[in-house]
Amino acid sequence: MLDNRLVVVSGKGGVGKSAVTAGLALKAAAHGARVLVIGMTEPLGLAEHVGVERLTYEAREVHPGISALAIDRPAALDEYIRLQLRVPRAAPTAQLTRALTVLAETAPGIREIITMGKPVFEVWASRWDHVIVDAPPLGQLASYLRAPQAVASIVPAGRIRDQAMAMADVLNSDCELILVATASELPVNETLEAVALMKAESLVPVTGVIANRVVEPLDIAARTVARLPDGPHRGAVELHMAVAEDQTTWLAELSPTFTIPYLFGLLTPYEVAARIGDLLEAA
Amino acid sequence: MSGVTVVTGAGGVGKTTLAAATAVGAARRGESALVLTVDPARRLADALGLEELGNDPEPVPGESNLWAAMLDVTASWEAMVNQHAEPDVADRLLANPYFRAIADRFPAAQSYAAGEEMSRYIESGRWDVIVVDTPPSAGGIDFFEAPANMRNLIGGRLLRWITGARLPGRKALYRIAARPALRLADSVLGGPLLEEIADFFIDLRTLHDGIAARARHVERHLAEATIVVVTTSDPTPLREAHRFFGSIEAPDLVVFNRALPDDWADAGPSGFEGKLGMVADKAMEVWGTEAHKGSRVRAEFSDRYGVRVVAVPWMPTPPTDTDSLEELGRALTP
Repeated sequence: MLDNRLVVVSGKGGVGKSAVTAGLALKAAAHGARVLVIGMTEPLGLAEHVGVERLTYEAREVHPGISALAIDRPAALDEYIRLQLRVPRAAPTAQLTRALTVLAETAPGIREIITMGKPVFEVWASRWDHVIVDAPPLGQLASYLRAPQAVASIVPAGRIRDQAMAMADVLNSDCELILVATASELPVNETLEAVALMKAESLVPVTGVIANRVVEPLDIAARTVARLPDGPHRGAVELHMAVAEDQTTWLAELSPTFTIPYLFGLLTPYEVAARIGDLLEAA
Repeated sequence: MSGVTVVTGAGGVGKTTLAAATAVGAARRGESALVLTVDPARRLADALGLEELGNDPEPVPGESNLWAAMLDVTASWEAMVNQHAEPDVADRLLANPYFRAIADRFPAAQSYAAGEEMSRYIESGRWDVIVVDTPPSAGGIDFFEAPANMRNLIGGRLLRWITGARLPGRKALYRIAARPALRLADSVLGGPLLEEIADFFIDLRTLHDGIAARARHVERHLAEATIVVVTTSDPTPLREAHRFFGSIEAPDLVVFNRALPDDWADAGPSGFEGKLGMVADKAMEVWGTEAHKGSRVRAEFSDRYGVRVVAVPWMPTPPTDTDSLEELGRALTP
């Protein structure tokens, strides 16, 4: 993990992607790397995990060595037109903006290359050792990673196509995917499908599969537990054991490369991210 | 008319299971019930006898009053186009790659298709109770906004964006497409892409009147439905649950899934010695803190919105048959 400049973090919705993204950034920054984290779709989650109230499209330092920004679609489109398509500022871009807005909602791949364009552009800018992306959930991930090909198939020539091809280069040569899952049926199955899809279509190499919120088994026999009277303690021990047992089955299916324990208690999102960073660091 | 319950919320909170549990409960009380689901986990699909993807409601094996249907978005879209468009326009649209792209990934399209299916079943009058599990996009909220979004899309909002004017005819549109600004767009885009898209929208627009009328029906059914928002006490789904208040018709019920008993919050030490005592105290410390957090979050929610809040106990293994679904459903009824 963290061997490429572009690091994409995804997973089924609600598994703790943003916490892991922030944890990875903290780990990288602990080694002196200059890191940019980008919130792609739901930036609020990433914001609270890096310890700020909200993120803007302007990168802002949120922690020594870590800057953060959130994708804002109109701003991304404007930047895409000026910097990536190199349309001069003086040109009448209002119509072009409209046209691309329409395209982004209809033609396959356009919306995705406009938003994925930002992280790739930041990689080109060479200001960062790592650009870590809190990517859209698994359901939408493939359409983002396939976007350059999708665009190439509908746009026969021109600057949009050229830019899409340049983006494909980065995705092919300097990008890795880290997948996060919790140890239950849908997240595990969707993660395994994503791993297979990445391989089958040679999209982006998966360098890490992280199991999040894993409950550690209690080292005690069920008949010993039966000595506890009915009540909260017995309930808590039985729930713990049942959750751990169910998770064991799904962990065996997933075979994660890294496991993060369930971080119980009243930790703030930033504290959770810091703990994840420490755990990743200790590995 | 059927009683409709829409079960919504962020992904991963168990709303599909709770939708199924609600339908099983109604069926076992003697009402004929249909659950319309989107993407059930394998074990739940098995429990409902849904191993094959089917748009049409099928009776659930072993249940006399219960039917289940799985939404097939692509099929619903095709049905919608065939119903509302002239035959030659329908053929052209269904073969058009832009149309495919919209049907596949425009979130409003998926949600709208689910709403259309729901309305069709409501209007058939075949069921006393219909329970709808919303598609997993945008935290469920766009299911409620989809009819309006669809009217805008089909009604040419995007087309007007291209031309910057009111809807022109085909000829006028080509005149506009020849303007210098659009030729700049073409040189950047590398082809007559905009003309192709304009053609597509002109075809799509012929569906407008039919779809606009249907969309109003869908909206009316949604306004009459019982809305259940499912969440857990985790921050991400909670944030989604908050979004339902103030943006749509107020939800009727908020279900906190995976809840822990309130008396776990301050249980104290077990009083047992040795290993058992240690394990019990450790488990209690961990889950007691979670219980404390959960009851605080639930109280905040009902105080803030005055909405009925129900806690559904944490089941470590999800229900695998209709009996356990019925048991789960009991936690939902007052």
